[in-house]
Amino acid sequence: MSLREIPGYFSAMGRVLALALLVFASASCRSENGANGAAAEPPKPPGKIKVVFKYQPLGSEPEAFRQLLAGFERANPDIELATEVLPNASDVVHQYFLTALEGKSREFDVFIADVVWVPEFARAGWIADISDAFPPSQVKRDFLPGAAEAVVFQGKTYAAPWYVDAGLLYYRTDLVPRAPKTYDELIEFAKAARAKNPQIYGYVWQGRQYEGLVCNAYEALWGHGGKTMDGNRVMVDTKEGIAAMTYMRRLLAEGISPPSATSAGEEDARHVFQNGNAVFMRNWPYCWGEAQKDDSPIKGKVGITTLPTVTGEPGNGTLGGWQLALNANVPSWRRAAALKLIAYLTSLQSEVTLATSYGRNPSRKEAYQDPTLRQGAPFVADLLPVLEHAKPRPVTPYYGMLSDVLQSEFSAIVSGIRPPEVALDRAQKLLDHITQGGPGGQGGS
Amino acid sequence: MTAEHVEKERKGLEGASAQPNLTPEHSGLRQSDATPVESQLRQSRRPPAPRRRNTAASDRRQAHLMVLPAIVILVVVAFYPILATMWLSLHRMILVFHEEQFIGLGNYGFLLSDPRFWSAMSNTAYFAAVAVVIELILGLGFALLLNAAFPGRGLLRAAILVPWAIPTVVSAKLWAWLFNLEYGLITRMLPGHDVNWLGMPGYAMHAAILVDVWKTTPFVALLLLAGLQTIPQDIYKAAQVDGASTLKQFFAITLPLLRNTIVVTLIFRTLDASRVFDAVYVLTEGGPANTTETLSIYAYKTLMRVGDFGYGSTLAVVTFLCVMGISVGYLKLLGVERGKGGR
Repeated sequence: MSLREIPGYFSAMGRVLALALLVFASASCRSENGANGAAAEPPKPPGKIKVVFKYQPLGSEPEAFRQLLAGFERANPDIELATEVLPNASDVVHQYFLTALEGKSREFDVFIADVVWVPEFARAGWIADISDAFPPSQVKRDFLPGAAEAVVFQGKTYAAPWYVDAGLLYYRTDLVPRAPKTYDELIEFAKAARAKNPQIYGYVWQGRQYEGLVCNAYEALWGHGGKTMDGNRVMVDTKEGIAAMTYMRRLLAEGISPPSATSAGEEDARHVFQNGNAVFMRNWPYCWGEAQKDDSPIKGKVGITTLPTVTGEPGNGTLGGWQLALNANVPSWRRAAALKLIAYLTSLQSEVTLATSYGRNPSRKEAYQDPTLRQGAPFVADLLPVLEHAKPRPVTPYYGMLSDVLQSEFSAIVSGIRPPEVALDRAQKLLDHITQGGPGGQGGS
Repeated sequence: MTAEHVEKERKGLEGASAQPNLTPEHSGLRQSDATPVESQLRQSRRPPAPRRRNTAASDRRQAHLMVLPAIVILVVVAFYPILATMWLSLHRMILVFHEEQFIGLGNYGFLLSDPRFWSAMSNTAYFAAVAVVIELILGLGFALLLNAAFPGRGLLRAAILVPWAIPTVVSAKLWAWLFNLEYGLITRMLPGHDVNWLGMPGYAMHAAILVDVWKTTPFVALLLLAGLQTIPQDIYKAAQVDGASTLKQFFAITLPLLRNTIVVTLIFRTLDASRVFDAVYVLTEGGPANTTETLSIYAYKTLMRVGDFGYGSTLAVVTFLCVMGISVGYLKLLGVERGKGGR
């Protein structure tokens, strides 16, 4: 039987070809639209405005958050809200937004952005300037200082801080006389505790080659009096930088920190501390809830404080946490609705709900005085001193490139591959090459 | 009976076993140096005897139409991305800065003087070479073991495949826990000083190799087992009658007859190992200090973390060219062996 005897075959082939043509045509249309920008804005369809919100799951019990979102729909009957959950891995989410936003996706309106992505996305034109709804002066007045600094780029607001995180020091109240204020005290207390019980480690933190190491290193840098930026130049190869890195290496060399610190992430450090095997730990606030669980060996024996410094002033923890940003590709009639959602989610009421239901730390200062929060989440209220001292990593669109260099060189220092002077010199040269030798940095010739 | 005798016996049978698909239909053809595939191709090129000429032409047209969808799909999903990546690699393109500028071979020039590229290259080569050699030796051992008849062989054959069946990311995560310095089983089991496998330069790469060996040795064993089963038992019986030792049998019969299977296995494994990403990324993310950073990890970080699509594509293209070079080399080797085998 030949193919011509099957009448459907050629028309099927034709349809496939037509479909392929259509796909190519629509793909090229899309990029045309992108080039023309707002000119190709689709008109508003009749009926409800659909707003799509992309976020990471907040906890294992979604009910409280669902009710919060339902409250938004009740207050805005003309808006239909759809939520899409992102994976719980920062790198993967960044990759998703990189490709989706570069591809001019209009599939979502409001999305969460890590604190270090805001300048990058703003520079790329992927997220909208929301200064009209959130004027920079008002952001500085209402939100925690570190969070406000991280979302304002070149004098404009590009995202609204949603919930914040900061590095802090956990200590064992049964093993040390009081919270250490200086690095010398921390080392002294750790040594004393180890003299009594040689099985216990002094200080656990995150030294694996990843973003967490950059956070730990910046905290040491600030604690030694170092500055993040000098004008537009990101500074690491300074007197303070070398002192900070020498201190980190010393923790390992003198056995204050276990050798496993050079391969530890947050959870590795927490497991050691949680099982009662360390005197001090640098980590994020989430470890508190874990430490206070009923089956926790260290329940009731843990204190928290700001990180130590050379001088004894409260140290600066690295700012983490998530912001709400607005997709710059969505048409204006969707923007207005999306801005309403951002305002609703970052309102005092919503932030208090997130704190009491999920232990997320509000970005608004006044939330910490709220009686509901003080009663429902006293630990969150107690974190205010730590969060007020939180500082962002370099606020620059180059951050992704810088972090790539810093992770490698900081890792070389803590694992003893290169001495601090050499590694910081290498890092500084690469950083300068990236930020000053043209935007390309590593790509150019 | 002498070893020479065994050798002759082997050669005689090898000629036959190199063309296991021979059927009476084929045997009439002149094909002293042709593989079965080639001879089948040759036969299909010959017009089917009694048909008229225009029928043959329309048949050919239909044949072309039939393969068209496959070709279209191949072009869209394979060739287009490869060509697009090559085109991108000739540009300076950083998403954040909306830069897109044709710079010819500029990225390739930069690559040659990029120490991080060369370090990634040598890490990848070391990983691939060491992992593949160990996998081949262990895999061969397992294959010989599984080829022997003993009770419970079926169960063992299934059991050995378990590591291969686990997704790499899952097994790498599992191994990361085993390597954990505080709680890991490996630290507990090994005597002497504790070794921080994933945090010490030198050790981290070998930890990654160990994970790869654990995962892919079963795959190698399976391929080699299939090869072993094509060797007729008669040769071994003949060798036994002649009094050749087991070791002698292995080197004079098993290894030479397994040569083509080994080359195919090497192709699969070397290519896979040269592109290694998931196992190493989950274990170390390239750390400490990029000492375990492979070409794929460097390319991924440059593309997705840094957003430098020009240079990231250059790295991807170079990885692709290396892998292509290796496969062409192996295929040549395979061709040479085939030629020898048919003589």
